Amino acid sequence: MEFTFLFSQFMSGLTYGLMLFLVASGLSLIFGVMNILNFAHATLWLIGAYICFTFWSLMEAYQFALWVSIPLAALATAAFGWVCEVVLIKRIYKRELHEQLLITYAMALIFGDLIKIIWGPTDRLIVRPSIIQKPLHLFGAPIDSYFIFVILIGFAVAVGLWWFLKYTKYGHIVKAAVFSREMVGALGIPIPKIYTWVFTLGIFIAGLAGGVQSAIGSVTLGMDTNIIIQAFCVVVIGGFGSLMGTLVGSLIVGEVFSFAILYWPDGAMVLIFVITAAILIIRPWGLFGTPLRA
Amino acid sequence: MKFRKMFFGIFVLLMAGFFCVSAVQAAEPYNLGVALGFTGTGTLYSKDQMEGIQVAVDEINAKGGFMGKYPVKVFQQDTQTKPDVGVRTVKDLILRDKVRAVINDYSSAVAVAVKPICREYKVIHIAAISNSENITKINYSPYTFQVVPNSYMQAKAASYAVAQLAKKKGWKEYVTLASDYEWGRSTQEEVVTDLKRVAPFLKVKKELWPKLGETQFASFVTSIMSMKPDFVYACLASKDNVTFTEQAKPYGFFDKIPYVGSMQSVTELITEAKTMPRGLVAISRAPFFAHMDVPMMANFVKNYRAKYKGKYPSDWAVMGYDAVYALKQGVEKAGSIDNDKVKDAMKGLSVDLTRGKLQFRPIDNQLRCSSYVGIVRDDPKYPFPILAELIEIKAADSERPEAEIVAARQAEKK
Repeated sequence: MEFTFLFSQFMSGLTYGLMLFLVASGLSLIFGVMNILNFAHATLWLIGAYICFTFWSLMEAYQFALWVSIPLAALATAAFGWVCEVVLIKRIYKRELHEQLLITYAMALIFGDLIKIIWGPTDRLIVRPSIIQKPLHLFGAPIDSYFIFVILIGFAVAVGLWWFLKYTKYGHIVKAAVFSREMVGALGIPIPKIYTWVFTLGIFIAGLAGGVQSAIGSVTLGMDTNIIIQAFCVVVIGGFGSLMGTLVGSLIVGEVFSFAILYWPDGAMVLIFVITAAILIIRPWGLFGTPLRA
Repeated sequence: MKFRKMFFGIFVLLMAGFFCVSAVQAAEPYNLGVALGFTGTGTLYSKDQMEGIQVAVDEINAKGGFMGKYPVKVFQQDTQTKPDVGVRTVKDLILRDKVRAVINDYSSAVAVAVKPICREYKVIHIAAISNSENITKINYSPYTFQVVPNSYMQAKAASYAVAQLAKKKGWKEYVTLASDYEWGRSTQEEVVTDLKRVAPFLKVKKELWPKLGETQFASFVTSIMSMKPDFVYACLASKDNVTFTEQAKPYGFFDKIPYVGSMQSVTELITEAKTMPRGLVAISRAPFFAHMDVPMMANFVKNYRAKYKGKYPSDWAVMGYDAVYALKQGVEKAGSIDNDKVKDAMKGLSVDLTRGKLQFRPIDNQLRCSSYVGIVRDDPKYPFPILAELIEIKAADSERPEAEIVAARQAEKK
């Protein structure tokens, strides 16, 4: 196998992994801090994709339409996420995990129908600006030029979240809440407020990921049900609540999938589930999680 | 007295004139029902089909209607592309509007649901664009006719055309890319088996199975490109096919590897003229440009474009037009608008259509029409790409053997 093709396959895996990271990082953050297993996370990601399409169609005539639509979609989805937290999620903090799962699953179904009502069942397609319609050649390997943007966004979010958690006051509070929300509360920090903003931040990243995804292929109903399973695999592998874990988990899933397509296509998905199951058995708290949270 | 006689004479003349005019006005119309999915997933195709039907009806009525004396009156209904609504609307058309024939639908599910209703009320039923072969293969109704190449014919035609292209271009190896669910698996298996039969020199290099609803095809794209097959045969569900196409385009995939397996009617060729990758090997049902040498097609295209502001007719418009003309020739052969006579006349009838002289196959009332496979390419004659290097696969090379139909019907009875 030529190096160029292996490199091309590696880049596909990297992009796939970083797309998964964008979806899974919000999911992991919300679970890590709030202990809410948000099954509707991928549906909010899909809403982000549809919103991005709407903004893009309003500015379609301009080459910058896509670049403006993506952050707008992230903000609009975050606003929707904020409403969800205040109206619904706030009421289920103290519920059992299975109850939370059922409620967030119901939310996913309701939001799915909401998408159908607002945008209809037709697939939505964003026409990319001409600058990213042609392939780019790196070391002789053809790469979708938009994927460079996806990779940059993925790493930017990873670095941004790391900086936020490591160097800001609110980041420290969030990290502390991952380990002991009672202690954080005892210090007089308003936990409900922190929860609301963490949830909003998680959904902002989901909306951003949806916006980025909208220019990769057509935006269609049901996309969310596929990606949510893989996002869960990522957080299980990396460890719930761990940013580094989510990044590494995403890259493992992306690259394993990509190279399996090349060498063992029938087993591409199976391999990911085998790894997930193995991690759950050997190290239930994930590669970078801590037994305390497990 | 003279005045009274004259007055009486004028009165008699006026009355005679009135009755004559009334008699002409009262010429019995031929009520034609059109039940299509004007809303729902079939909107675009149904709208085009209706336009084709309307052009045919206008032409026929300009010459006095069917047999020159039965003007065609169209009753249009929306099935919403839903079987239950289709059944309800067709019943309305039959019972309220007294239609003698119904043209329906975009969705095969609707056509299958409507078939027994038409049979019960002895109304001619023409499936003009819905192409499940089960519309005519099993649960046979002598009142139901199909003027579109059915699903079996289209699948066989694709294999036949690929074999021809492979011989011509020296293709040896291919990769299959099929959605990982029942339809994708069974279609892929059928294609591979069929290609083994018609082109035994072709070898499958790799079988790829993206899951249904896959959103990230990049790994598949780069993987296929690294394998350098002579072509890819895709059996992807429609949405997945769009996603794959969109994700493969930025890699220049379609410039490098022939991609076989998608259906591109004139509707897609026009609406996606700017974005559709050139080089796709696509199948089509009734592209007008395949038969511009047939005077009836040339005339239809001219009249259609005149009526619809220069728009070119899609496959669906062509088949809608052909459905009306097939019915017209059935009525003429029967010498009557009586449905039983028309249905008997249409059985095995050879009809002159835009796609040439074609025959309804007696065993299943399926029109022995062609399928078309070509390579998406720009043509200076049209403002949209067409299917170039077009291969017309005749019914003789693509239809299901009669013995298999008999066997399927016997199995159905058990």
